[in-house]
Amino acid sequence: MTEPVIVPDIMRMSWGPQHPMSGQTRILLDIDGEKVHRIIADLGFTHRGIEKILENRTFLQGIIPVERMVMADTPNIGLGYVTAIEEALGIEVPERANWIRSMICEMARINSHLYAFGLQAESTGYFPAVFLWTTVDRTIILRLFEELTGARWSLNFFMPGGVHKDLPKGFEEKVIEGVEYLRRRFEEYWVAMVENATFELRCDNVGVLKPEDAIRLGATGPVLRGSGIPIDVRKDEPYAAYGDLDFEVITESACDSMARTKVRYREIGQSLNIMEQVANEIPSGPIRTNVPLFARAKAAEVLSRVESSRGELGVHLFTDGGMNPYRVKIHSPTLRNMYVFERLAELDEILVADIPVLINSIDPWYLDSDR
Amino acid sequence: MNIVLTLWRFIIEFLTVNAKPLLQIIVLPGLLWVIVYAIIAVWFERKFLARAMLRVGPYYCGGRFGWLQLIADFIKLFFKEMIIPKDVNTFFFLLMPVLLPSVPAMAVILIPFASDWVLWNVGSLGMPMFFAIAGIAPLVPIFTGWASNNKYTFIGAWRVAYMYISAEIPMVICAASVAIMVGSFDLVVIARAQEKMWFFIPQFIGFVIFFLGVMIESERTPFDMPGAETELVLGWRTEYSGVLYGFVMFTEYVMLQAWALMFLTLYLGGFNGPVFFGATTASHIFWLVIKFVLLVTLVILLRVVFPRLRMDQMLKLGWQYLTPLALLNLVVTLVLKLWGVY
Repeated sequence: MTEPVIVPDIMRMSWGPQHPMSGQTRILLDIDGEKVHRIIADLGFTHRGIEKILENRTFLQGIIPVERMVMADTPNIGLGYVTAIEEALGIEVPERANWIRSMICEMARINSHLYAFGLQAESTGYFPAVFLWTTVDRTIILRLFEELTGARWSLNFFMPGGVHKDLPKGFEEKVIEGVEYLRRRFEEYWVAMVENATFELRCDNVGVLKPEDAIRLGATGPVLRGSGIPIDVRKDEPYAAYGDLDFEVITESACDSMARTKVRYREIGQSLNIMEQVANEIPSGPIRTNVPLFARAKAAEVLSRVESSRGELGVHLFTDGGMNPYRVKIHSPTLRNMYVFERLAELDEILVADIPVLINSIDPWYLDSDR
Repeated sequence: MNIVLTLWRFIIEFLTVNAKPLLQIIVLPGLLWVIVYAIIAVWFERKFLARAMLRVGPYYCGGRFGWLQLIADFIKLFFKEMIIPKDVNTFFFLLMPVLLPSVPAMAVILIPFASDWVLWNVGSLGMPMFFAIAGIAPLVPIFTGWASNNKYTFIGAWRVAYMYISAEIPMVICAASVAIMVGSFDLVVIARAQEKMWFFIPQFIGFVIFFLGVMIESERTPFDMPGAETELVLGWRTEYSGVLYGFVMFTEYVMLQAWALMFLTLYLGGFNGPVFFGATTASHIFWLVIKFVLLVTLVILLRVVFPRLRMDQMLKLGWQYLTPLALLNLVVTLVLKLWGVY
């Protein structure tokens, strides 16, 4: 990246990549004392060429690298790619498979939001207490994943035409047990963290993103819903079983960092509801339609959209009649939200201490933005 | 028999009269106490905070309680490579870590551990002397941050400057109210005056302000902005490594010790407490140490509950709330003193 010119009397500070809180990115801050005048996000430290890798894999093989984009949220990313393939190949998915997909996606959303929630606590210096609590609670989800798929993080469970395996015996009861435990824990989080006066001081009115700015800058996911705009692909363009499931689109009207955190908190509640619904009402039937191993797609251009934990993920797939995709373009939610983050210094007054709070209210996953 | 008794009396007399200054320098308010306290405090912080975070903490080194871990860490720090960055001001960079713990440790010698156990009894100069020495302390981090020639340390250093000034002024005013109440600057007299009633009852506003001040001065959460690791890596400490880093981290605890002891002396009765077996000095020391341990435990455990404040919020707290409240407290104390209530 060519660095923009520094204005006189302004100090340029590098926040990352070697920094305890930054993650795999560099953010340049133009500061005057404690005040941040400009934020420059320097992305691309973890570019792995996933889009190019996909061109050299068959449709089925491609599921494995594409899920590496966001490790905390693998099913949602995998589902985006799988639905694109299904659309290109013209495959119908059985109803039961769709319900299982929805449940796994919601479990991943809880896992990912818990991570974001803990990091938000840590960014305010609520030193690892809450972060480690959420980490411990994530094992509930991970154990369920392990029992269902054999993997804890990178599940590779969705395949064109359905899911890999049916639910094991007694899995529904375990899901309900886990949901009840997590509900109890979330009440504690609300008291310990969201209602903590000092935490409110740090997050209220920090990085206000007005609804019109959120739309203009192309925010997505909890960032957009935190600004009070009810856009959610699960509701607007239902995929998997979301059309049959009963859930709300969460919005908050405060538009600040606290609102974005609260959106995540309340979305976890909705995800728990969905998990419970699926466990109670899942229809019986086949879990997969058979798809040839080396399927050939007709020349086509398809776009699939899913609501991942960080926002809308779009997979734009071009096929030319071969066994591999001709070109895959992935719209990642983190990249879109990083544009918003860069502009926040112009929209609102920001201090150096607000930077970790803000970046974690965006909930970035840099591997996702760099692909 | 007679010889044994004489010898025994001689030893006791030697220890209590002749060797007393030596004991004070080496053992109690001196070197051993400071080091042992810092080690125990660090161990406590690591082990007990770990429980609050659903972790185990140090476990393998020194058994289940991990008591050897700190000694192992100290040895590791001692033998680690000491990196001196190219562009630092080497003289100040190397000098400051030595000054850092010694300035607050100097303030500790003024604190009465018992009515006749003060290392440096300056009489009615006690309290002004304490604040004079403690007033030097923030200069050292500022020099450190400047000498390190790094942007993080620079911002951290100025945060130290802002923070200490905004905290020390209300603290000095509160201490002055106590001095007015007693009618003396002598710390022994102030502690003695609390035999019947500890001063946190008549001086409750001062008690709260001074407690917040102790947290601010020792950079404990929620007031650890100068070393906020999510923003400034380690603030003004960033560039240190090896044994110098050990010194720098040690400072935090010595600073806490100096201010906590002053806080106890001013508001929580100092060395006062029930006397056991007529051994006045020993029980006084015992009570002060017990109070000190409880206070430090409280200060350390508060870290679990509070996120860090922002710098502007901290300054607002200092100038908008603490200073006017301290002045109000001073005025009330003066009025009550003139009316003859105290």
